[in-house]
Amino acid sequence: MVQDALRTSGSGGGLPTTAVWNGGGRGRGFLRGWQVQNTSINIKIMILCGFVTILVLLGTVSFGNLGSSNADAVNQNLIKETEPILAESPSASVPTDLEELPKPEANPPTDLEEPPIAEEPSKPEANPPPELEEPPKAEVNPNVTYTLGPRITNWDSQRKVWLNQNPGFPSIVNGKARILLLTGSPPGPCDKPIGDYYLLKTVKNKIDYCRIHGIEIVYNMAHLDEELSGYWTKLPMIRRLMLSHPEVEWIWWMDSDALFTDILFEIPMSRYEKHNLVIHGYPDLLFNQKSWVALNTGVFLLRNCQWSLDLLDAWAPMGPKGPIRDEAGKVLTAYLKGRPAFEADDQSALIYLLLSQKEKWMEKVYVENQYYLHGFWEGLVDKYEEMIEKYHPGLGDERWPFVTHFVGCKPCGSYADYAEERCFKGMERAFNFADNQVLKLYGFSHMGLLSPKVKRIRNETVSPLEFVDKFDIRRTHEETKP
Amino acid sequence: METQILSLKNREDIDEEEEDYRTMIERCLGPHRCRRIQRALRHLKVTVLCLVLTVVVLRGTIGAGKFGTPEQDLDEIHQHFQPSRKRAEPHRVLEEIQTGGDSSSSTSGDGNSAGKEDKPDPNKPYTLGPKISDWDEQRSDWLAKNPTFPNFIGPNKPRVLLVTGSAPKPCENPVGDHYLLKSIKNKIDYCRLHGIEIFYNMALLDAEMAGFWAKLPLIRKLLLSHPEVEFLWWMDSDAMFTDMAFELPWERYKEYNLVMHGWNEMVYDEKNWIGLNTGSFLFRNNQWALDLLDTWAPMGPKGKIREEAGKVLTRELKGRPVFEADDQSAMVYLLATQRDTWGNKVYLESGYYLHGYWGILVDRYEEMIENYHPGLGDHRWPLVTHFVGCKPCGKFGDYPVERCLKQMDRAFNFGDNQILQIYGFTHKSLASRKVKRVRNETSNPLEMKDELGLLHPAFKAVKLQTNQV
Repeated sequence: MVQDALRTSGSGGGLPTTAVWNGGGRGRGFLRGWQVQNTSINIKIMILCGFVTILVLLGTVSFGNLGSSNADAVNQNLIKETEPILAESPSASVPTDLEELPKPEANPPTDLEEPPIAEEPSKPEANPPPELEEPPKAEVNPNVTYTLGPRITNWDSQRKVWLNQNPGFPSIVNGKARILLLTGSPPGPCDKPIGDYYLLKTVKNKIDYCRIHGIEIVYNMAHLDEELSGYWTKLPMIRRLMLSHPEVEWIWWMDSDALFTDILFEIPMSRYEKHNLVIHGYPDLLFNQKSWVALNTGVFLLRNCQWSLDLLDAWAPMGPKGPIRDEAGKVLTAYLKGRPAFEADDQSALIYLLLSQKEKWMEKVYVENQYYLHGFWEGLVDKYEEMIEKYHPGLGDERWPFVTHFVGCKPCGSYADYAEERCFKGMERAFNFADNQVLKLYGFSHMGLLSPKVKRIRNETVSPLEFVDKFDIRRTHEETKP
Repeated sequence: METQILSLKNREDIDEEEEDYRTMIERCLGPHRCRRIQRALRHLKVTVLCLVLTVVVLRGTIGAGKFGTPEQDLDEIHQHFQPSRKRAEPHRVLEEIQTGGDSSSSTSGDGNSAGKEDKPDPNKPYTLGPKISDWDEQRSDWLAKNPTFPNFIGPNKPRVLLVTGSAPKPCENPVGDHYLLKSIKNKIDYCRLHGIEIFYNMALLDAEMAGFWAKLPLIRKLLLSHPEVEFLWWMDSDAMFTDMAFELPWERYKEYNLVMHGWNEMVYDEKNWIGLNTGSFLFRNNQWALDLLDTWAPMGPKGKIREEAGKVLTRELKGRPVFEADDQSAMVYLLATQRDTWGNKVYLESGYYLHGYWGILVDRYEEMIENYHPGLGDHRWPLVTHFVGCKPCGKFGDYPVERCLKQMDRAFNFGDNQILQIYGFTHKSLASRKVKRVRNETSNPLEMKDELGLLHPAFKAVKLQTNQV
């Protein structure tokens, strides 16, 4: 009503300009029509401009920051081109690492405290939905125990017969038992590109050690068993290799995040003549404390025999993913000291198995801690310079660690337990520390433990063989043989 | 209320404007027409504005050819204000080993480091090392003293060291390292089956010989440090084994010291720069090889020497584009011009694919699986598929990145299937990373024979070890 009054008053008079239009409703209508048209045009223009601005922004924002060079644009292009390759199979993103477990390390027995780094391993539970392309082909019946394969009971005799029939493939070569090193990584690219770079370097490191020591390598990049995914992948692979290669006496599993740092050191196989499983750990932590980090399944040796097949069969049942693994995880967390709550992992399962069936298994298990068959990286990587100064290769223990194992770093995955930079720097240092020992024969050395560049430490000569005699590690071992 | 007043005020302004316009134009054209014209003008303004904005947007997103894109504008501004660093080499169909990285990166980076250590004397001609003239004697003495390191590990089987490598730094392409990893796994598998040792190089030994020339000092170093090695097999990092069953015909090369894939006519008659391929070749460990390396090296030192040499090579060789000297062209030139010195000990193998150009092979894998079987090594089932020009580690290849990577996956799986079938598995398809079982587990695993007989092949059996010179 008030508005009406205003309108009438407004249109009525008082304002000189409107007086012109005051004459007649037709004039008034005309004015309003004009206004409406104007407003509508304005609105149209506004909308159009807004739309175009958004388009322009989309177009320009995609070329990155002002001042970034061509390189970024090219990178973007590359990334765009490689994305389809990366995105190919979702299975690549499901438990990627074969040794995913963030195994916080136990300090040597002097320190009986909880391992300081027992963080909640985030990756295992935060599993993205499992492979979507195929329905689970054989629903694992929780009532039926999972098996790795049909039970074999006479493997020792089968193997003996085969070795007799095949003298061209003996299990002992040059006086040494034939060892097969097994390692691997996921089939797809790592979440972080730098992860693949470090996988490449660790492979080179293993190739170097194994070439010098006459060990064959199998690098696995296939998930042989959908059920046993993640850190459990090693079990079917180990079994498969044992059964296919009776000439192999020992299968040596090594995680992809473990590096050889003592190239000279050789495993004292004579110590293990009566044992079938050699694993790094501490008996005190194992038997007295039932700690979940009492042993480390990142690096171990398993003899090719019936006992090992039985062990694998007893070890596997906690592995099948899904409800079985989750339930098993709860059992393990309750039983083992310090274990966080997450699905069953192979290390905890092995400890549980060895503890609960002690009489059956422990006689043939050698818990090794006199040298670093597995050396937790955190306490080692900063000491390399000190080691170079004071000690020499060949010791294998805390003075010059045999293996430096980057537990928890997960170079290939996304969720590490430690700061990325510290991990990668440590891996670089460990790699160069080892590489220097390899390059010594050729007269080169890295410029620093962090540098990929090498410098000459010995000039070329016309009689290179005198240095070969001096520095070739294989020949050093030859001479020390009885 | 207020809106009404405002709108009234607007109306006033508009009306005033309208008044002015109207009075002006009315005089010329008449009221209706003038209004129409005004409307048209307004529309025109809007249209022009929109056109301009559209052009800008299109230029930003798609690029408008010679008118350039905003990125190019920025780039030009950049270049204008900063001295331009060396641009990437012109594209060329040439395998480049990754040992030294591509030249542009090595020159800037590692050149400094070498400079610190030993500055090469510009007046002295480049040498790989002090000349050794009695290597054969030195080596045979050593072999005699070291019977546990024979140079032949079987009656017809020499000790072979496969040498490959990549740059010390991470790849510029984010998935490059993954493909290097797959490539080395592929080589590990072949070499394990065939009893060959591997040396994976990630160090640049000589900054002068960076890029594709880096293999020369490395080969020399390894030959001299491993007298027990009879043959050194150089293989590029972008080459993959696709025939796991094929064993090299070692007896064929008894009288030869250098085996490369190529054709005699193309090298000696035509002087064609791709008459042979230095991406995969065999080098015997003897004095002849050291002399050849010394003769091969002089075109290599980076900088002026390499560029000048490049011009010579482009002039002398057929079909060679213009770019700095590369090791392959230099080898062709060397052999073509000094055939009498070297030719009789060089075997140009074309009976099987010691190097197989990927372009003509990768699309035929399914056909091969259907019609042939491993162990042939030739066009029916290539020993090596070599991804020349792909440069998975770098940024600028000669082929589209996606095609290269997809085909590398296929080649990898094609080779990997031959390994997996030993254990009863195979890839679900040549493009898939996933595997499926093709043979069930049994309780008598030793009775299973894998089809290709790769599990315990004859060429791997341990025999009596004797020294053969």
